Amino acid sequence: MLEEMEEQNDLGDPAVMRAVHSKPTLESLDSAVLDSRIGSTWGEFEGDDLDKAILQALDRAPPMSHMNLDFLVSPAQRGYLGSPGLKCPDFRMMSPKSFPQRFMRQQSPMMPRSMGSPRPYTPPCRASPLFTPNQSSGYVSPTPFRPMSRNISTPTQPLAMHFGPMSPSLEPPLFFSPPASCQLKFSVPSHMTQLHPQHQRILNQRQQRGQARSISPKKAWSPKADPYSGLMTRKEKDWVIKVQMMQLQSENPHLDDYYYQAYYHRLERKQAEEELLGGRNKQEPPKLVTPYIQKMEIYDSVVRIAGSLGQVAVSTCYSPRRAIDAVHHALQEETAGNQRLRALHRIEKMFLQLLEVEETQRKMSLLPEEQHPRFREKKNHEAGRIYQALKIRACDSEEEAEDEFLQVLCVRKGKKLTARLLPHLAREQAEEILVAITRHLPFLMRKDVLDESLPVLYGPLSEMVGRMTFSELIEVLQELTRPLAGATELPLTMTFKNQFGISLLYALLSQGERLLSSDVPLEPHSGDFEKWTDTVFLVARELSQVPKTALVEPLFLPSNLLSLFCRYLDKQTIHRLEAKMECSPLPSEAAMPC
Amino acid sequence: NCKHCLIFSITTNADLTSLPEKHLVLLRDGRTLIGYLRSIDQFANLVLHQTVERIHVGKKYGDIPRGIFVVRGENVVLLGEIDLEKESDTPLQQVSIEEILEEQRVEQQAKQESEKLKVQALKERGLSIPRADTLDEY
Repeated sequence: MLEEMEEQNDLGDPAVMRAVHSKPTLESLDSAVLDSRIGSTWGEFEGDDLDKAILQALDRAPPMSHMNLDFLVSPAQRGYLGSPGLKCPDFRMMSPKSFPQRFMRQQSPMMPRSMGSPRPYTPPCRASPLFTPNQSSGYVSPTPFRPMSRNISTPTQPLAMHFGPMSPSLEPPLFFSPPASCQLKFSVPSHMTQLHPQHQRILNQRQQRGQARSISPKKAWSPKADPYSGLMTRKEKDWVIKVQMMQLQSENPHLDDYYYQAYYHRLERKQAEEELLGGRNKQEPPKLVTPYIQKMEIYDSVVRIAGSLGQVAVSTCYSPRRAIDAVHHALQEETAGNQRLRALHRIEKMFLQLLEVEETQRKMSLLPEEQHPRFREKKNHEAGRIYQALKIRACDSEEEAEDEFLQVLCVRKGKKLTARLLPHLAREQAEEILVAITRHLPFLMRKDVLDESLPVLYGPLSEMVGRMTFSELIEVLQELTRPLAGATELPLTMTFKNQFGISLLYALLSQGERLLSSDVPLEPHSGDFEKWTDTVFLVARELSQVPKTALVEPLFLPSNLLSLFCRYLDKQTIHRLEAKMECSPLPSEAAMPC
Repeated sequence: NCKHCLIFSITTNADLTSLPEKHLVLLRDGRTLIGYLRSIDQFANLVLHQTVERIHVGKKYGDIPRGIFVVRGENVVLLGEIDLEKESDTPLQQVSIEEILEEQRVEQQAKQESEKLKVQALKERGLSIPRADTLDEY
């Protein structure tokens, strides 16, 4: 330590201390110690000379440019701060004895001055490294920071936050406090880390208010009377903020920080809408951007000491406390056990797989076209696995309660899972699902009476239906017209009372009509047309018989249903159906083909 | 994300000329502390100056001066800034310490009795809810 003191006089600026190869300081070894020299080393050097030197240094330190520590502070806040954190003038009012302490704390704002010409703040430039390895000026700061000495884009020697004991074999610590130039290393947008929108607003308000009524401060808390308000220095605050920011950063924010991302997107969309409607100036919601700080070490948060029982949880600043790994070792009971529980368990597992599929999809959409096939293949493979896990197979109506796929469908989350999975499946697989659902529709509708969550399937299924061929359509419709054993009603009729059921039925019919009225060749199998007309007649008959009050409003009423009925039915029936279904009437009677 | 809040409370109050902000801290055991936040770290350990423990019972509240508090971060539920202007603008009525402690005792007693009745009713039906000793009290 002594060497440092002598060297500083060589430079002529007592504010500067040169970094030397001293033995590791207490600070470097223990992150809890912020400044081991307070009150200790300085005590040896008390004397007027030192005080004078300090005063000189303080005199010379001009109002600093904004570069020193305000990297984390938004421009608005900087304005609010006025002359940045130097508490120089006030020091004179303080007792000289406390000078060394305060000087220690305040060293950092003055430090950058010594490092060559003060740099005006520039946005991060990728080319030039800011610190050449030869650069020796710098000084030992209380905090265990390391400089980023390479350029930004590839921080090969990134800022390391060392906590806990450091091995002495590490390269000689060039400790720097975070000067602004150092901060340029972070991949922060040029306007620096922005604050949360709420934060920004409140600060602006406060700034305005502060400017307005700066005349009458509250008497109780004049600056002189509140010596504790500076207890945490700017540096320390920034350090804590940095630690927190580091903990916030993640490779996959969409997954890790889903709720904030979703909220932010919604906010963006709302503002975009407002902008369109109100014609206001474009306001972008400021985002809390975490500066990217590469973590140097990969640590094992749980350390197993050979021969000992249990684990030692290593806590660092990345994860202050990580729970001991609790691994669920319970074997899955195949035979015994609650069926419903098993279904729920399966749903959870499949859902995680589904999230991966969606993530692959999302990544794919962000990448250029060339890379799509690789992702698509991966996605299809993963989706196929889930499809296998769903265990869709043919089963009779007696076995419905035991069927694993139907059990999954009885749970709301299972329906959601299926609905979200459908867009990612291959055509045949998706069709199998549709056939299975239609085949067991009465069962599903019965089970859904309380929950009413079947409509979640409508969207993806109707999209699927819109792509079906005529033969496929007929096959599905057969499921609805086949009479059920032990039931008086046709499945078809049962759908009238269920919102999802009737919507699906209408969607199927509408697709048929669309195919018939289009120019695309239908390529029907033999018997298809008969089945089709039979179905239409059946639907018309059942619809006209069911009382209107029993008919449930569908999620979506296709507009071409009446045209469909027009092909086969008489005017009277059509009018009755029209009234019952509450379709919008056809354009004009004269135009009707029937 | 609690980090946003911490960042908030640290980045304001940046220079001596501004007035120190009062912070309100809610602890896991249900206590409410109000004081000047002097120091904070990455674990949300707090140093509160001129702390006051505020007890709320109904529409009344009472402040017990507590001095300096050092709070371990894991016990913090939430931390917020108090708008000094709006601080006095409250429908709540401040009462003396003795009174509020008395009110609190009465409230606790009523709660205990209703709890006892509940446990009794459950016992009669053959159910028993284990005592949640480790859960946070409110």
